[in-house]
Amino acid sequence: MAESICRLLRDGALEGEHAPALTIKDSIASPFGFHVFAHVLSQLSSFILAGKSQSRGLVVVCFSRSPSFYLELLKNKGIDVVSSDKRIQTLDCYSDPLGWKSRLTETGNFMACSHETSISRTTNVFKDVKHMDKLYNSIVELGKGLVGGGKIRFSVAIDSVDEMLRHASMSSVSGLLSKLRSHDQVSSIFWLLHSDLHEAKVTAVLEYLSSMVAGLEPLHQPANGQRGDMENFSLIEHNLKKGKFHVRFKRRNGRVRVMVQFSLQLSEKERIDKANVVLPFEHQGNGKPIQIYDGRRSLADSKHERPVGATETVQTSEDSGRGEIIYYRDSDDEMPDSDEDPDDDLDI
Amino acid sequence: MAAAKTRASSFSRNLSAAAPSQGPGLKCGPNGLVFLSSGIPDLDKILGGGFPLGSLVMVMEDAEAPHHMLLLRNFMAQGLVHNQPLLYASPARDPRGFLGTLPSPAASKDNKSYETDPDQSKNLQEKGLRIAWQYKKYFGENQLNFDGQKGSLSLDGKHEYSNEFDLRKPLDRHFLNRQHVDCVSIQDSPDLSVLRDRCSTFSSQFPRNDGSVSCAGRIAIQSFCAPQCAYSNMEWDMLSFIRSLKSMVRSSNSVAIITFPPSLLSPSFCKRWQHMADTLLSVKAIPDEDKDLAQLLTGYQEMVGFLNVHKVARINTQVPVILEATTFSIKLQKRRYLVLECLNQAPVDGSSGTSYGTSGSCSGSSKAGNLDF
Repeated sequence: MAESICRLLRDGALEGEHAPALTIKDSIASPFGFHVFAHVLSQLSSFILAGKSQSRGLVVVCFSRSPSFYLELLKNKGIDVVSSDKRIQTLDCYSDPLGWKSRLTETGNFMACSHETSISRTTNVFKDVKHMDKLYNSIVELGKGLVGGGKIRFSVAIDSVDEMLRHASMSSVSGLLSKLRSHDQVSSIFWLLHSDLHEAKVTAVLEYLSSMVAGLEPLHQPANGQRGDMENFSLIEHNLKKGKFHVRFKRRNGRVRVMVQFSLQLSEKERIDKANVVLPFEHQGNGKPIQIYDGRRSLADSKHERPVGATETVQTSEDSGRGEIIYYRDSDDEMPDSDEDPDDDLDI
Repeated sequence: MAAAKTRASSFSRNLSAAAPSQGPGLKCGPNGLVFLSSGIPDLDKILGGGFPLGSLVMVMEDAEAPHHMLLLRNFMAQGLVHNQPLLYASPARDPRGFLGTLPSPAASKDNKSYETDPDQSKNLQEKGLRIAWQYKKYFGENQLNFDGQKGSLSLDGKHEYSNEFDLRKPLDRHFLNRQHVDCVSIQDSPDLSVLRDRCSTFSSQFPRNDGSVSCAGRIAIQSFCAPQCAYSNMEWDMLSFIRSLKSMVRSSNSVAIITFPPSLLSPSFCKRWQHMADTLLSVKAIPDEDKDLAQLLTGYQEMVGFLNVHKVARINTQVPVILEATTFSIKLQKRRYLVLECLNQAPVDGSSGTSYGTSGSCSGSSKAGNLDF
């Protein structure tokens, strides 16, 4: 199903049509949005570099992670970033979104570090995120720089619409997205949204503006919102490893195509995570209370500390020595409480 | 002298208003109403003649499908064909571009060939539903269509009241080059004053008086609360704009149609907007490749969406309209002509004996089955 999404983005827009736009939305209950975003990004990049897509360039607008993170990610997925600077450019809205550093440097109180002042070939720093029209112009300029003028198109990836909404109003963000969609040279556009950071109206607006909505939902809904309950805990834990991938396509014939997939396409990760799972009743006999956190911590670690593209390799190294499913029932070292009736000891 | 005066009533029949000569594209209706066509003959029939002058039509969009554009296109094209001035507002940068997608009227002989039900509809039209009168109810023709069945397909005169539009053929340029097509982009305006002024000047061109209507105007506003419009979070202002538009239109010979996506409004405002409308329609997308729906509905393959009629304008009367059916499927016949067909309820008991849907079903389909819609 991710293939159909990537295919639609790859094929791009027809003449006179708005560019296809994808919203990837997730929530804390099923926080895999970034994995999907990274997957789509790497797929589209490889299509672009192989010349198989309508668009000839990609502009990545980086709000929540630095551009070097994305370049690293693409490199880890096997995409040659060094030679692809003619095709992939990043717009850096991460290092200095409001232009504070440059203002501090001007006042002389702040010595900019050398690596920050060096502008790499593939990234451009944008310092004025409050003004969506300037952002629009920068994106278009960058895109045109990649593909030239005329009829050649480029794609746009925005890593976090949440960050944009922090700085600018809903209507200006929607204006930017719809202007990009209707620009002659934009082939496709996609963005990530964490839906629980906003009111429902924001999600509704972004769904209105997009032609495909990929939502990540938890497989099991917890009974209530409380997290202290042990059963809910394991459910939540389960939800952090598996989820439901729900996609709605607005097709050209005016109909809506709905596809649902019941586990995410993180097959490698899934296998490893499965091994990490500690079933709820198991930990009672383990004597190792910390094990229940294992699955989540390895996930959290891999998300924040390392680039996601390296997840597969990272997971295997962290795996050693942790998280095996130990079946106490069948094994030799029987725990004292498991089978016996404690009252058997009584002599009456 | 107390001559026996014939008792003259103080009311004298205003004969001039009884049969005024209407301009092209206008039709007289009951209660002193004058209708103009929506551009979709089926919709005119459902609404009892068309959109009455002075009414506000609102269409609730479905964010997932652009069917409201089909309604707008037909509405606008019909107005241009009848030489009725048009004001079009949309959140696009260049609304004029949309005019290029307006359909052209189909050749009139195509009006009668309903391919899906060749024998029945042809017979009925030829015999004027006199012999086959008992099939009237299956065709959703309600009593409101006082002009008779041929009224909306009137062939007398050069202009038909309501044209079938061929969505694959664009409208001739010469219709668009006339002066009376005005476009407004509502994207960048910080508030609604510009749009309000434009609507006001437009509708003042057709003041309503007791004389006959010579010319009527059409106002079409697309996606009124679209998120890229700067005023889109000013909910009370938008509501007051609608209110003032309604009053402008009431005192002039024009019809305004506003489409809006209800999912982008807060629920209370959504309700208020719905109450503002004289005629309220909504369009809905249908899921693609849905096997259950394909079994349930005949003709699923040709359907593009659903149209619901929530409210029909009742001006000058207290009598409400109760439609036999309110949900219609939107189909593109031969991928060109927009038709609306009603969905029948499935027969209650499918197992025993007679089922209603076998002959003359409303959907006009010749397929008969247990669950025939």
